[in-house]
Amino acid sequence: MRSSSLAVGFGVLGIVFIIVAALYALGVLQLFASTTSGPHYKHAILFVVLAVASFVAANFARPKTV
Amino acid sequence: MGLLQGASELFPISSLGHAVLVPSIFHWTFKQSDPSFLPFLVLLHIGTATALLILYRDQWAAIIRGFFTAAIRGEMKTDSERLAMLLLVGTIPAAILGVFLESRIKTLFASPYEAAGFLVLNGLLMLGFEQLRRRAERRAAVATTSRTEQEAHFASAERISFLAAAIVGACQAFAFLPGISRSGVTIGGGLLAGLRHEEAARFSFLLATPVILGAGVVEIPHLLSAGVPLGEYLAAAVLSAIAAFASAKFLLRYFRSGRLDPYGWYCIAAGLASLALLHFSL
Repeated sequence: MRSSSLAVGFGVLGIVFIIVAALYALGVLQLFASTTSGPHYKHAILFVVLAVASFVAANFARPKTV
Repeated sequence: MGLLQGASELFPISSLGHAVLVPSIFHWTFKQSDPSFLPFLVLLHIGTATALLILYRDQWAAIIRGFFTAAIRGEMKTDSERLAMLLLVGTIPAAILGVFLESRIKTLFASPYEAAGFLVLNGLLMLGFEQLRRRAERRAAVATTSRTEQEAHFASAERISFLAAAIVGACQAFAFLPGISRSGVTIGGGLLAGLRHEEAARFSFLLATPVILGAGVVEIPHLLSAGVPLGEYLAAAVLSAIAAFASAKFLLRYFRSGRLDPYGWYCIAAGLASLALLHFSL
């Protein structure tokens, strides 16, 4: 299933994940974390992986020019 | 502990369950409440993951190459590229559940009694997976043929669907319960998805490697800061790697024609025996 809007959607999602990862790494975001202070690298790495997956999905969804 | 973990991690008998049960039953002076216990287990897991990386070094090289090629091209053309994407899809649910649920689940179910109970449940699951597989063999009219012919009827890891890969990956979260085997549920999930036993084991081992490595790398700073006997722990990790390498070799050969049943019966027997030993404080 290829469409430009789907590709853009995945791209935006990837950027959101990157921002969330940065917020976890800087200790700004504490949502769903076991402690309430400090950086959460485990969460940050997870969101980096999700961002990579989103960008890959965006590239797969992008209509190919022949 | 290193040998025990390395051997039990890849066998579908729950390494975490054994790591909780064995020290309790044999009264080993190993404080499971110690903050360094989890990082110690993680270090042993890194040993296991290293063994898997060595075992599948050629495949991992092809998978990594395939990942970048497919990601940049936006298309999968080879089996390695498809396998790379399947592993990514399978790893994501396990990573999400691991980050958000692992510590909560492990805190809730940390007692040896619960580990023994889940070990019995793990055994029942293994037997259940094989029952469903036998039903699939009967439907495919290969139930009366030889085991080699039966297995030839099923698919290789690269042919699993993306939805099935995600479900098998998510099943890894059940292994946060001590007594439930990660390899057991993922091999079982692979069987339900129509893979050959050997291929289900291969997919399970490949799927486990990034999750185990990732969890390990994140815990290493805790291990260094805890003031633990690092030399002793590293020696245990090396033993774990050796045991895991030998176990993986054995299992891949075993699953060419073998089934999960013996491990299911072992888990039921070991779980019930552990419950009895713990109850009567033998």
